[in-house]
Amino acid sequence: MATLKINGETKNFEATPDTPLLWVLRDVIGMTGTKFGCGIAQCGACTVHVDGKPVRSCLLPVSAVGDRSVTTIEGIGATPAGAAVQKAWLELEVIQCGYCQSGQIMSAAALLATTPNPDDSDINAAMAGNICRCGTYVRIRDAIKRAAGNAA
Amino acid sequence: MRRTLLTIVAILVVIAGAVALWFLSAPGPLSFAGGNKVALASYKDGKPTGVPAELQQASIEKRGEYLAQAADCMVCHTAPGGKEYTGGFAFKLPFGTLYSTNITPDKETGIGNYSDAEFLAAMHRGVRRDGARLYPAMPYNSYTYVTDEDALAIKAYLFSLPPVKAPARTNTLAFPFNQRWGMAFWSAFFNEDVRFQPVADKSADWNRGAYLAEALAHCGDCHTPRNLAFALDNRKKFAGTVSAGWYAYNITTDKGAGIGAWTDEALLSYLSTGHAPGHGTASGPMGEAVDHSFSKLAASDVRALVAYLRSVPAKPSSDLPSTLAGVAATSHRQGPDNGRGKQIFAGACASCHDWSGVSAITPTATLTGARAVNDPGGTNVVQVILTGMQRPNGLVSMPSFGSIYSDADVAALANYVTARFGSKGSTLTAKDVAKLRQQTAQ
Repeated sequence: MATLKINGETKNFEATPDTPLLWVLRDVIGMTGTKFGCGIAQCGACTVHVDGKPVRSCLLPVSAVGDRSVTTIEGIGATPAGAAVQKAWLELEVIQCGYCQSGQIMSAAALLATTPNPDDSDINAAMAGNICRCGTYVRIRDAIKRAAGNAA
Repeated sequence: MRRTLLTIVAILVVIAGAVALWFLSAPGPLSFAGGNKVALASYKDGKPTGVPAELQQASIEKRGEYLAQAADCMVCHTAPGGKEYTGGFAFKLPFGTLYSTNITPDKETGIGNYSDAEFLAAMHRGVRRDGARLYPAMPYNSYTYVTDEDALAIKAYLFSLPPVKAPARTNTLAFPFNQRWGMAFWSAFFNEDVRFQPVADKSADWNRGAYLAEALAHCGDCHTPRNLAFALDNRKKFAGTVSAGWYAYNITTDKGAGIGAWTDEALLSYLSTGHAPGHGTASGPMGEAVDHSFSKLAASDVRALVAYLRSVPAKPSSDLPSTLAGVAATSHRQGPDNGRGKQIFAGACASCHDWSGVSAITPTATLTGARAVNDPGGTNVVQVILTGMQRPNGLVSMPSFGSIYSDADVAALANYVTARFGSKGSTLTAKDVAKLRQQTAQ
């Protein structure tokens, strides 16, 4: 039996040490808000935070998390940056099909937590690894700027 | 007129003589060690050849399997995606392409008809069963040091494999390189045709390491630069060179360019797992050597290899910076910006490698300290981008980007990566990348 600290709660689970965190979250613990996209850290859909840093959970072995705290889309609303992002996302109706959006929101929240007033180059650098097949990039950019304003 | 002609002929003769003398006086792979070479039986400190203690009692096929892995036969005798040991792997040379052959015991297309003596002739002297000469892509100039006992154990292992019918592909070498008989002269100059002799005053570990490195693992075949005749130039033993599109780096004891500053633990870890913290992850041909050879060796043998490597004289590499860059800035704002390269890095690379170069996902993806990013030539960075990186144990899994990015994109990305994470950025062009692509295409 292993444990993880997820969204402030301690969760017990059983999985081999090399199981990627994403599988533990979705298939073992049942937290399906985080999505599987490509499985090779190229699309960003599986982004979670480990100690506040955005990480692709599809490649991160669960044993490598250790006692660091994991934040997922289910818990991001409890952080100031996460709450601001979610609010802006709703106001601008960023989402189209929605599949990539938990990853988009996690990357955006991590960006605002370290860079409260990002310019376009900051947004490009932080969000370029999150792919949206519906092409909501323009609204994502606007929403990040709005969230920055809201959070300030 | 006649006088001038004679003078020219005389000069040519002198030059030819000097070249021959230079080649003839070339040091062998173990010349640097000096000391008193003795027959195996007279070496007092155990047996440096054969298999490690735990396999002494195993069957000849098992012992042969271990030795075949130590000699890394399989990697070159298997085409990508092909059946093991059936050949067809392409060696791209400046004068054409050479293909490895089927060494399963198939009687028609493999080595099923080889007698012991014929197998030894191929291993030690590069002579095929029909008497034709092998090209030294088959490293018989190294395997010549393998004892008869060990070579025949390898044969017994190969003969225990299922025979597979796989005819040899046709080489495309240009004249005069397609003349196999020419290799007789090459061998006369460059193949010692002697079995391994331990150095009496060196430790058992050193001698075992020497046997593993020189006779079996043939490290020098990638890591030692070659002379004009394409033979190993042991005056620059292990000083590093580009071979088959990858830079096999300096593995001499030079502290800046080589492995002189690595700890024993780092070397042991790199050889047996393909990764050492702070030194990056083995990829390309070295990754294959780790996966199929070094990772299968007994711990005592890896230690022996390290003991041996520690004795190889330091040689500098003028093209490599002697200090490695530290951790890069965590913000994308600091550091270089070359437009397209940075843009690709942000989208495809930063999620694993981080803007700092220290991966938040796995230590094997950490770029900081790796020689490849600290090589202003950028050769191996380009190859890793093109081909990705996979370890069979699942510890490393980088996708390949060769088919989705153009040569210009890959050049821009490699230039960005070496500038951000290394001590001096590369200045590769699309043409350079096209050339590197061509050299590793199978």
